Amino acid sequence: MSYFNLQEKIEEFKMLLNDSIDFAHRYFEKEGQKVAMIFLKSITDQELLSDSIYMPMQMYQGSLSIENLQNEIIKCSDITEIEEEKIINEILGGKIILLTDFSDKIIAVDLYKFPTRQPTEPPTSPVIQGPREGFVEDLQTNITLIRRRLKSKNLVIKSLQIGSQSQTKIAVTYLKDVANDYIVNKVVKKLKKIKIDGIIDSYYILSFLEEHPNSLFKQVGNAEKPDIVTAKMLEGKVAIIVDNSPIVLTVPFAIIEDLQNSNDYYTNHHYSSIIRVIRLLGLLIAILAPGFYLSLQIFHYNILPLNFLITIADTTLGLPFTPFIEIAFIFLLFQILYEVSLRLPSYLGLATSVVGALILGDTGVKAGLISPPGVIIVALAKIALYTVPEQASQITVLQIVFLILGGSLGIMGIMAGMVYVVNYLNKLDSFDTPYLAPYSPRIPRDLKDAILTNSIIEMDELPKSYSPKKEKRK
Amino acid sequence: MKDKISMRQAGIIALLIIFSNKILLLPALMHEYIKADAIFAIIMLFAIEFLAVPIFLKLRRTFPQEKLYDILKRYITVFGAKLLYLASMVFMIFKALLVFSIVYVYLKEQIYQNEFVWIALISFIPIMNHAVMSGLKPTARTMELFFGVLIAGFVFCLVISFFTPISTPYFFVSSAKDIFASIYKYAFTFGDSLFLFLIIDKIDYKPKEEKKFYFYVFFGMILVVALFFLFYCKYQLTSFMHNNALADLLVFSVRFNAIGRLDIVAMLTIMLSSLFQMEIFCYGFCDSFINVLPLDKKYAIVLFDIIFLILYYIFIGKYEIMVKSTVTWLPVLGVIMGYVFPIACFIFTFLKRRKKDEKSD
Repeated sequence: MSYFNLQEKIEEFKMLLNDSIDFAHRYFEKEGQKVAMIFLKSITDQELLSDSIYMPMQMYQGSLSIENLQNEIIKCSDITEIEEEKIINEILGGKIILLTDFSDKIIAVDLYKFPTRQPTEPPTSPVIQGPREGFVEDLQTNITLIRRRLKSKNLVIKSLQIGSQSQTKIAVTYLKDVANDYIVNKVVKKLKKIKIDGIIDSYYILSFLEEHPNSLFKQVGNAEKPDIVTAKMLEGKVAIIVDNSPIVLTVPFAIIEDLQNSNDYYTNHHYSSIIRVIRLLGLLIAILAPGFYLSLQIFHYNILPLNFLITIADTTLGLPFTPFIEIAFIFLLFQILYEVSLRLPSYLGLATSVVGALILGDTGVKAGLISPPGVIIVALAKIALYTVPEQASQITVLQIVFLILGGSLGIMGIMAGMVYVVNYLNKLDSFDTPYLAPYSPRIPRDLKDAILTNSIIEMDELPKSYSPKKEKRK
Repeated sequence: MKDKISMRQAGIIALLIIFSNKILLLPALMHEYIKADAIFAIIMLFAIEFLAVPIFLKLRRTFPQEKLYDILKRYITVFGAKLLYLASMVFMIFKALLVFSIVYVYLKEQIYQNEFVWIALISFIPIMNHAVMSGLKPTARTMELFFGVLIAGFVFCLVISFFTPISTPYFFVSSAKDIFASIYKYAFTFGDSLFLFLIIDKIDYKPKEEKKFYFYVFFGMILVVALFFLFYCKYQLTSFMHNNALADLLVFSVRFNAIGRLDIVAMLTIMLSSLFQMEIFCYGFCDSFINVLPLDKKYAIVLFDIIFLILYYIFIGKYEIMVKSTVTWLPVLGVIMGYVFPIACFIFTFLKRRKKDEKSD
C-alpha cells in the first residue's frame, strides 16, 4: 500500500462516515515507513492514543513492522487484526485503525472513551444500609460491577449486538450451574430475533422479551443496582445488560419481586416481614381505596359505621358534583400535579406541589367543590402507590378501572374486578414462572422469601419458581 | 402436566362446591321443614357426598389420563355418554342459577336496593366467561390465592356468633321419615362432586397427596355443619325466618369494639364464594357442552349466557318458583347426577378391574 493509497483510503473512509466533524486521522513517518491512524475523536481517548501508540512509535529504535507494532510498540492490551470491510464498524465502535504502507494487514486498537458517570446510588433504589453502587450507562462498567460480586467460573457473559443503526451491545449474563438452560436459550433466541433500528435504552427490548407484549403488566424484572442483579442471578435468573442503559433487565419475573426490596435483606427479617406486609397493604389500598370509597358512598352507605357516615354526609352535603365526578376530578387533579412535578425543574416542582396541595386542595374544599374525605382517600391511594414504585404505572391504570367499577357496580363490581384481574395474572407466565408465585400456585419452598421472610440461614434452597438447575444454595 | 391443576387446587375446588347453595338460604329452608334436625339431614347428605370422593380417586387411579367422556363411552356407548353430559349441562346451569338467585336476593336486600339486576349480571357473567376462556388452571390458581381470605372470612363469621347469646337448639323434634324425606327434597343442593368427575383428566394426580384432598373436602363439610349448628343455636325456633345464614350470624354482633360494622366481612365472603361457584358451574356447563357437541368453547359460553339469561327471566323475577323447583323436580336431577352417577363410576372401576383380572388369568 503506497502513501497515496493511504491518503485515498482515508478520504474514502471520511466519505463513508459522511465527512463527520469528529473524523480524525494522523500520519506517522519513520525512515520512509508510513502509518496512518484513523479514528473518531469524539469517542476515542486521545491522551491514550498519544501515550500508547504515537509516543512508543517515535521512541522505537528498529524498523516498523506489523508484528512489531502488535507485540512490542503499541502499549495497549486490546489489539486485533481486522478485515478491511470491518473498518467502518470498528471506527464507530471507538477503535483506532492503523493502516501502513508496508503491509496490507490492518490493526484495530481499542481506545474507546466516552463521558461516563460514577456508579453512584440510583435515585430510585436508595438504601439505609447496604451497598450504594448503581449501574451506569457503560456496559463494561456494569459488567465489572457484577464480576466484582461474582468471582465465579460459572459466570457466563454472552455478547450480542442489536439495532441496525445503533449497533447496541447487549450482554446476557447468568450463572451456568444455576440458571435453567431452557430460559437462557429462550432469552438469547428472543434477543436474536429482534429487528429494530436502534436500542436507546433497555426498555426498548423489554417488550421483545415479554411473552404477552400487549399486557398491562410487566413480565420482565429490572434493577439499577448490581447487588440486586447479583442476588437475582444467584436465584437462577438471567440478566440482560444493555449498553447506554443503567437499567438491567432480569428474567424470569414474578410479581413478588416488586414487593421485595434490597433493604429487606440488610435488616432484621422480622422487621422485613412487617415492611413487606405494609407494602402489600399499600398496594391494595392504592388499587382499591378510591373505588371502594366511591362504592360505599354511592351504593352501600348503610354499611358504614354511623359516625363515619355522619362525617361523610356533613362534608359532602351541598357539593355540586356527584360522588363519582368528585372523586374522578380529585384523581385527575392529583395526576396532573404529579405529571407537572415530574417534568418541571425541582425548584418549580416544589412550588407546584405547594400550589396543588395547599391552594387547589384547600381552596377546593373551602369553595365546596370537593370534600375532605374525597381528598384524603385519593391522596392516600396516590401515596400508597409508591410503596411499590416499580408497579406505579400498572397501579395507576388499575386505580382508574376500579374507580369505574366501584362507581358503577359497587362492591360487587370491585370483587368481580379483583377476581378477573387475579385470573388474568394467573394466565401470565414469565418464562414458565407463574406470575403470582409462590402464592398462586402455592410453592411452599419459595414461601421462605415471600411476604413473610425467613432469616438468610433458613433460605438454604433456591426458589423453585425460577426452575434453577440445582436445589440448594452452596 | 402443564395444563393440569394440583391436588391442592382440586381440593379447594371441592371445598368451594361444598359451600355452594348451602351457606345462605338452605339452613332456613331446611329448618322450616324439619327444624334443627336439619343438621342430621345434612350430615347424612354429606356422608353420601363424601363417598363420591374415594370413588372419584379410584376412578382416577383406574383410568389414568383418560377423560370422563372416554370412560363413559366405553361402558354406556357414545349416545349414553352424550346424554349424561347433556344432563350435566342442565345440572350445572340450574346450580349456577340457584347460586345466582340466592346471592342476588341477599345482596339486593342488604346493599343494593334498586336497579341491581344489571349490576349483578354485569358482575357475574363476564367473570364466568373469562374463567372458562382462561381455562381451569388459571381459575384454580385464582381460587387458591383467595382461598385463605375466603376461609378466614367464613371462620370469622362463625367465631363472631359466639359473641352473642346462643344456646343449644332443640333436636329430635322431627320424625325419621321427615328427615329422610328432606334428604331427597334437598338433594339438588348437594351432589356437586359431579364437577370433580368432569375434570378428572385435568388433575395432576399424586397418590401421596390424596390425604390433602380428603382434608379439604372434610374441612369444607365441617365448616358447613358448624354453620348450620351455630345458626340454629343463635336463632332457635325463628331460624326459618333468616334467609341469609352466614350473614345473619353477624347480626346483633355488628359492632365489635372499636372495629365498627362487621357484616361487610360476611358480605365479601359470600360475594367471593358465589363468584367462584358460578365460575365452577359455568366451566362445568361448557366442558359438558364440548363433549356433547364437538364445538369450540366460545360457542359453549355463548349458549350458557343465552340460557342463563332466559332462565333468569323465567325464575329470578319469581324467586319463589326457583326455590320451589329445587324441592320439586330438580331433586331428581340432583340424585341422578350427584349420587347415581358416582355409583355408576364405581361400577366402571370394578368392571375394568375384572377385565384386567380376566386378561391376566
